[in-house]
Amino acid sequence: MKKRKIMAMALSCLMVLSAVGCGNGDSGSTSGSAAGTGSSAATNQSSAQAQTGGTEGAEITLWTYPIGKWGDSATVDGLIANFNAVHPEIKVTVEYLDYSNGDDQINTAIEGNQAPDIVLEGPERLVANWGAKGLMVDLADLWTDEAKAAIYESVESACKGSDGVYYEYPLCMTAHTMAINKDIFEAAGAMQYIDEANGTWTTDDFIKAVQAVYDSGQANVGAVYCNGQGGDQGTRALVNNLYGGTFTNAEHTEYTANSEENIKALQLLYDMDGINYDASIVGGDEINMFCNGTLAMAFCWNIAQEKNNLDKINFDVLPMAFPSTGDPKLCGGIWGFGIFNNGDEAKIAAAKTFIDFMANDEKQAVESVKASSYWPVKDLGNIYEGDDLMTEYSKFVPYMGDYYQVVGGWAEARTAWWNMLQQVGSGVDVKTAVEEFVATSNAAANAAQ
Amino acid sequence: MAAEKKNPMSKALVRRETIAGYAFMLPSLVFFLGFVIYPMVQCVITSFFDATMNREDIFIGLANYTELFQDTVFLGALRNTAVIVIVSVPVVCIFSLWVSSVIYDLKGAACSAFRCIFYLPVVTGSVAVTVVWKWMFNNYYGIFNYVGTSTGLLKQNINWLGDERYALGCIILILLTTSVGQPIVLYVSALNNVDQSLVEAAEVDGATKFQCFWKIKWPQIMPTTLYILVITTINSFQCFALIQLLTSGGPNHSTDTIMYYIYYNAFKLYRYGYGNAMGVVLAVIIAVLSAVQFKLAERD
Repeated sequence: MKKRKIMAMALSCLMVLSAVGCGNGDSGSTSGSAAGTGSSAATNQSSAQAQTGGTEGAEITLWTYPIGKWGDSATVDGLIANFNAVHPEIKVTVEYLDYSNGDDQINTAIEGNQAPDIVLEGPERLVANWGAKGLMVDLADLWTDEAKAAIYESVESACKGSDGVYYEYPLCMTAHTMAINKDIFEAAGAMQYIDEANGTWTTDDFIKAVQAVYDSGQANVGAVYCNGQGGDQGTRALVNNLYGGTFTNAEHTEYTANSEENIKALQLLYDMDGINYDASIVGGDEINMFCNGTLAMAFCWNIAQEKNNLDKINFDVLPMAFPSTGDPKLCGGIWGFGIFNNGDEAKIAAAKTFIDFMANDEKQAVESVKASSYWPVKDLGNIYEGDDLMTEYSKFVPYMGDYYQVVGGWAEARTAWWNMLQQVGSGVDVKTAVEEFVATSNAAANAAQ
Repeated sequence: MAAEKKNPMSKALVRRETIAGYAFMLPSLVFFLGFVIYPMVQCVITSFFDATMNREDIFIGLANYTELFQDTVFLGALRNTAVIVIVSVPVVCIFSLWVSSVIYDLKGAACSAFRCIFYLPVVTGSVAVTVVWKWMFNNYYGIFNYVGTSTGLLKQNINWLGDERYALGCIILILLTTSVGQPIVLYVSALNNVDQSLVEAAEVDGATKFQCFWKIKWPQIMPTTLYILVITTINSFQCFALIQLLTSGGPNHSTDTIMYYIYYNAFKLYRYGYGNAMGVVLAVIIAVLSAVQFKLAERD
């Protein structure tokens, strides 16, 4: 009887421990670093060399996050067919990731020495995460003087680590905007506060417009969603733009969200009629509620949202820059290629050949960018000529602000951000909540250095 | 002499059967060792390390445990978990016993129908169940707000999952609906197995229905009750999917549970050592509680 009781208790423990037994292999032993250490000298060969030498019969793997149609196998197969028409000697295998577990898949692959050769994603992962950990190849040879002259400066700086090494070669970019339900705004007489041609408004006009919409009977004008980190670029951009605050310092070494400007912005949003801090929804929910007319504006928006929801929307959507006291500074997305240093020079050379073709080949680059549904990172002319929607959104690209997502401790800071918004929404003093956010985030940033 | 001759034969037979028995056990034993025991041991070992992705683990002794008990979010999660257990375990046990005692002696089809209804949330995917509840609790167009405001019970919409005063209560309510199915099925079976001759004899002797239940049925279904208590306690401690899908621990950490916080540290921040330290603490708590439950049941 006693033995049975002990067994029963032991089994209870087992159920819990096996559920959380998620260690990463032998403690104290070497974690399998797929990429070796650092951007090795092995990679310092020229782009020309990469295209001619050592790629014969190479097989490389490309793992891509769902960046537009780069997450669609039919489209990517077409792009790879183009590549193989020029480089039949290189075989490319593709795996499609999603944002809910893509990072886990890659991190697990790194631990198991099975990291992909190429990843298509943004600087926050390629540069600030895997690059900073020394897992990525230095792409300096792709960043020729010609490339540096052609690619926008803000994009170039985002593709470099704090050590000055290029861990990403960019392909496309976008600026995240917000959007309003034009029908509701017109009915409320609030369009007078909007510069419709440029898609901009001042903070004062934003306040007046929201009040007008609220007074017209639309109780839920906008929602500062904070159930999780999904779509948090919208709330960050909103808060930072209202009074010209910043999220980090210019060097991306310290979080600065506790500035007076940001505190004032958070307080303003808390006090405004029609704007709710909503801890029950994330960015995706907010988009759905905007599309079904529950909310009159969406802070989590970009061209992809409008394209993806065309069939659900039965009103006129007007994309807008975030309200600001000066020029708006929009959060951007920059996507490009990074190469994991798997120690195989032939594969690295083949991977560089692939990137060079996809991003630099005169004809292919346009097709590669179009597949992303975003805009090129250099002047390729108007690649969306005749596409009214893309042309409408292209006016926001010049407003792209500092790409601060490469700051250390980003994962912790993102979580701390929506927790801070929840605190503000539940009535905690704004300054107290923001100071706590900055302390948590800076501690994470320091730990990451 | 005859016995001496027989012994070697039976020993060989026993040995052969024992070997065959172990051979049959081997696949599941290997699986058990590899996928249950090994992770469990790793969990305990890693809890003494600063373990994360893409670098060597660093031995830090008890630092994870020290940090744990200074971490206000963890302590809050511990409190929330305790509230969930304290509320849900008795409610599940009492409610399922009540329902079972009402339906167990119904005619076949009726009893099956009720069992089916109560068991449905168990076999329905937790994600599907959660999505429906999320819609019902929706701040803007959820059915609870609609009914509440339509009938005048509510003056304005309540953000059920976004307001820290209500969020944990909502989680517990959903947990209850998904937790009662299995106990009801178990209790119905247990009540059907009660020796009816004893009940009939007691009734002939003038025992009331309550006396029949308390003096005859209750002791006989005690092992089932103990089992339900233990599994409900463990399930309540391990409440995770609901939190992950509905509130992400918010608002303002009001629905953080230990399991969710373990997940957050291990799979969002990649702090495996810290997450595993929490896992060990949770296992110890559950073991102690299980021991207490066994002890109390033994005394009864």
